[in-house]
Amino acid sequence: MKKLFLIGIKDLKLIFRDRAALVFMLLAPFLLTIGMGFVTGRFSGSSSGLSDIPVVIVNLDNEQLGNALADVFSSEELADLMEPTASSDIEAARRLIDEDEAAAAVIIPEGFTLSIIPAEGTSFGESFVQPEPVKIEVYTNPSRPLSAGVVKAIVDEFVSRVEEGRIAGMTSISGLIQSGLLDPQNAESEARALFQNGNQIENTAITLRTNREGAEAIEFDILAYMAPGMALLFLMYTVSYGGRSILAERSQGTLPRLLVSPTSAAQVLGGKVLGIFLTGVAQVGILILASTLFFGVEWGDTLGVIILILAAVFGATGWGMLITAFARTQAQIGSLGSALMLIFGILGGSFINLEQMPSMMRTLSRITPNAWGLDGFTTLALGGTLPNLVEPITALLLMGTVLFGIAVVVFNRNGIMQK
Amino acid sequence: MKKIFAIAWKDAIVRFGSVSELLFFIVLPLLFTYLLAGGTPSGEEDPRIALLVADEANTAISQQMIGELETSTAVRPEVVSRDEAQSLFDDRRADVVLLIPAGLDLASIQSGSAEVELLQQPNNMNATVAERAVSTAIRRVSSAISAAGNAVQQRESIEPFASEAERQSYFEASLERARTIQQEAPERVTVIEGITEDQVEYDPRANTSAGQLITWVFIPLFGISALFAYERQQGTLRRLLTTPATKATFLLGTITGQVAMALVQMLLLVGFGILVMKLGWGREPLALFVILLTSALAAAAFGTTMGTFIKSEGQASGLSVMFGMVFALMGGCWYPLELFPPAIQNAVKVLPTTWAMQGMLDLVLRGGGLLDILPEAAVLLGFAAIFFSLGVWRFRYE
Repeated sequence: MKKLFLIGIKDLKLIFRDRAALVFMLLAPFLLTIGMGFVTGRFSGSSSGLSDIPVVIVNLDNEQLGNALADVFSSEELADLMEPTASSDIEAARRLIDEDEAAAAVIIPEGFTLSIIPAEGTSFGESFVQPEPVKIEVYTNPSRPLSAGVVKAIVDEFVSRVEEGRIAGMTSISGLIQSGLLDPQNAESEARALFQNGNQIENTAITLRTNREGAEAIEFDILAYMAPGMALLFLMYTVSYGGRSILAERSQGTLPRLLVSPTSAAQVLGGKVLGIFLTGVAQVGILILASTLFFGVEWGDTLGVIILILAAVFGATGWGMLITAFARTQAQIGSLGSALMLIFGILGGSFINLEQMPSMMRTLSRITPNAWGLDGFTTLALGGTLPNLVEPITALLLMGTVLFGIAVVVFNRNGIMQK
Repeated sequence: MKKIFAIAWKDAIVRFGSVSELLFFIVLPLLFTYLLAGGTPSGEEDPRIALLVADEANTAISQQMIGELETSTAVRPEVVSRDEAQSLFDDRRADVVLLIPAGLDLASIQSGSAEVELLQQPNNMNATVAERAVSTAIRRVSSAISAAGNAVQQRESIEPFASEAERQSYFEASLERARTIQQEAPERVTVIEGITEDQVEYDPRANTSAGQLITWVFIPLFGISALFAYERQQGTLRRLLTTPATKATFLLGTITGQVAMALVQMLLLVGFGILVMKLGWGREPLALFVILLTSALAAAAFGTTMGTFIKSEGQASGLSVMFGMVFALMGGCWYPLELFPPAIQNAVKVLPTTWAMQGMLDLVLRGGGLLDILPEAAVLLGFAAIFFSLGVWRFRYE
């Protein structure tokens, strides 16, 4: 057992002395996690990554509703999300969009308010005709679809509220006129009052209850998904790098030397596997710790995190050993390892959320330690504890055991561990 | 010229000596492009967010709500059973689920007890967008009922109703009127997509195609550094000193070979974009060639400079992959640049990937031509000039 540990610790030390390997094992995933933090808005405090969306407001209406819409974009509530600039020139505003200087232009034409709120002195008698609708134009930048979509949603919501007030006013007024309780000649002032109170009309007919309002609502830190995603991606590199050391020792002659010493082949192989496993644990552990220290990521149940890391590294080590068993040269392990790292990265959800994948790919993702590991980390970040991790941990342990078993059979068949 | 060609040919033989190189040259780039583009539907598919709806009420009101959701530009309702919705949500295979409980009808609305529940995956942008869409649908369904309720209150404030029956009758008449007004409501917002020269439809897969192309081509070009380190380690660079080949010939041969291989790789990926993804890469062949060439030159120049700083092949390989991935992410090749904070959007202008991506999007997304990509091409040539100068100046045989 001591020999096994000595071999394992020796390999661990060797890898951590290799600066090139450290760049790939630690620096690359750390930098990519930072990048992902920017994309997801984790560092800017927004929920989507979008902030300070440049939008041009052209308010040619200059009346109650036009001004209200312009005020919405410069409101305190949207201060972080929107960066509005005012313009009075429609063509100049459109040019800014065409030149990719802004995400969208909101053009409020002259007469917008009057097309909704009746002008003073309007009679609601039989001669009343609805004014021609005047449309707000949202001129969007095709290369900033997400930002433009947000601008459009804000305008839609504003118009929807306006429309709500109009419907309420018109319904009341026409009801009163039909009941003979209101003179059509005086209806305009009454409608105006109703409309102006429209914002106070609480639309509580149907309540929308979101699960965020529940007591069990949990703030999910997106980095608790992204950081392990990157760590697991580069873990595949580490396990193949470790596998390479077996073939390196063989070609350099140190493996046969080890085997003529009073050390059994099983001890040597076990020590090598232990070295790979310890390196992987150290790598993922350091990245998890760094994310906690630098970004304040909360991982949830500590025991669950530790056991999940051990299980994920065990599963990945199985893959590393399998590659080593089938490869003939170190270069082959390098190529296969890198390819597997990238394939497992995309299949396992390190690059994109698995939900976006076709169902066949989601099924296929289950062969990767990345998918099971991320599943476990997400469960923990959502408040789960060790008992909730039974499925991913079992799957990872099973994966590691089966792959290691196959690798041993192939090692024996190929005589790699023979003197 | 013959020497340059010989060096380039030697590099090609070394690179493709192992069949596994094809994995990185074409197989993985195509796989990544295909899978990542699979997450972004083409223009022919429904791009709206799937919203699972479990309608246990099955009343006119719930049907009306689903009808409103169907007209939404943001979500696409899919009616499923409650168990199925809950199971898909628990497995995180659904971003958002709308549960309409039994008993949601006009009476429950009038009594103020009507409510629906929305289950949302945490920190999920689709779920946030869907919440807005559901709120809008509820508002549209509710607004007529609210308007009728308000009308009743207005009427009561002027003259009380004689009986509850009269009150209910007034409510129903008002509701009918409110619905008519709502149905007759004109469109008040028009959305016009910014003018591109030939009105190219926005296709998010164009981002994926361009982004993956840059990622997979830039990494091996940065890997020129590993080539230099390898030759230096093996002592073959020193041997060159004994041959009549000059430093310039060696560098030109190595870089020409790698850039030529990069161009072949780019053309294969562009071909995949045109033939399989039906993207408009081929509209301006000259402009496309200019942006591909300048991008390849900028990346090769960066790799050359890296090669003069890095000592071992192992370091060079690790660093070229790391720089390639980080530059790609930060340059907007994996996620749209608009998602980054404005300060970062400005800061990443120092990266060649940002300009390469911008130039390619000008072509494939905005339908631009040669004139439109000239600024990006000029910046990329600037990168190439600076880094080649630095690389040649620092280049040592040992």
